[in-house]
Amino acid sequence: MLINKENIQTYIPQRAPFVMIDALINASETNFESQFEIQADNLFIEDGILSESALVENVAQTCAAGFGYVGSQKGEEAGKLGFIGAVSKLKVEGLPKTGEQLSTKIEILNTFDAIHLIEGTVFSNEKKLMTCQMKIVVA
Amino acid sequence: MSRDEIIATTKRFLSEEFEVDENEILADNNLHETLDLDSLDYVDLVVVIEENLGFKPTADDFKAIDTFDDFYDLAERKFAETA
Repeated sequence: MLINKENIQTYIPQRAPFVMIDALINASETNFESQFEIQADNLFIEDGILSESALVENVAQTCAAGFGYVGSQKGEEAGKLGFIGAVSKLKVEGLPKTGEQLSTKIEILNTFDAIHLIEGTVFSNEKKLMTCQMKIVVA
Repeated sequence: MSRDEIIATTKRFLSEEFEVDENEILADNNLHETLDLDSLDYVDLVVVIEENLGFKPTADDFKAIDTFDDFYDLAERKFAETA
């Protein structure tokens, strides 16, 4: 594990109760991986089910943590602001319930200037729940 | 790839990606205006250029490009560098 739950907010700009990742497991120049356990009091829970919006936010925050961690290894400031520029090719195959542990994998497909085109996939117990592409602008 | 092949290939993939009529992709037309690019579109443009022409333009490359002719010049230079 690269960043645990106690330190994750150092690397992402989001703050509780809007934090949608617990830990950064892996990070390289091209791939990131995070974990997130869904709590009953999550903002995006309705009738025990986590919404699609939370999965999209989970992907974005995994990117924020990954870029933040990789940047910090190069001496850059951690917790830089980032923005979702666009979401495309979104496919939701299932929604997780309270108590499930999400594993989110990011592949950086391309980068132009400060804009990153990424593909994110969210799994629960190795079952794919959602995939999308996203343009992330890192300020 | 010859300049004619660069032009034909570029017209095809740009018209598909950005839904622009190939007849609007003329040598003297402004690339950015013709494709109606916003800042986020450039990463898509880089992806299709890399997929179809095999090189990755930089932000500085785009600053030097006004017309499609400028882009064909860039592509020719990139091919010459890797030849």
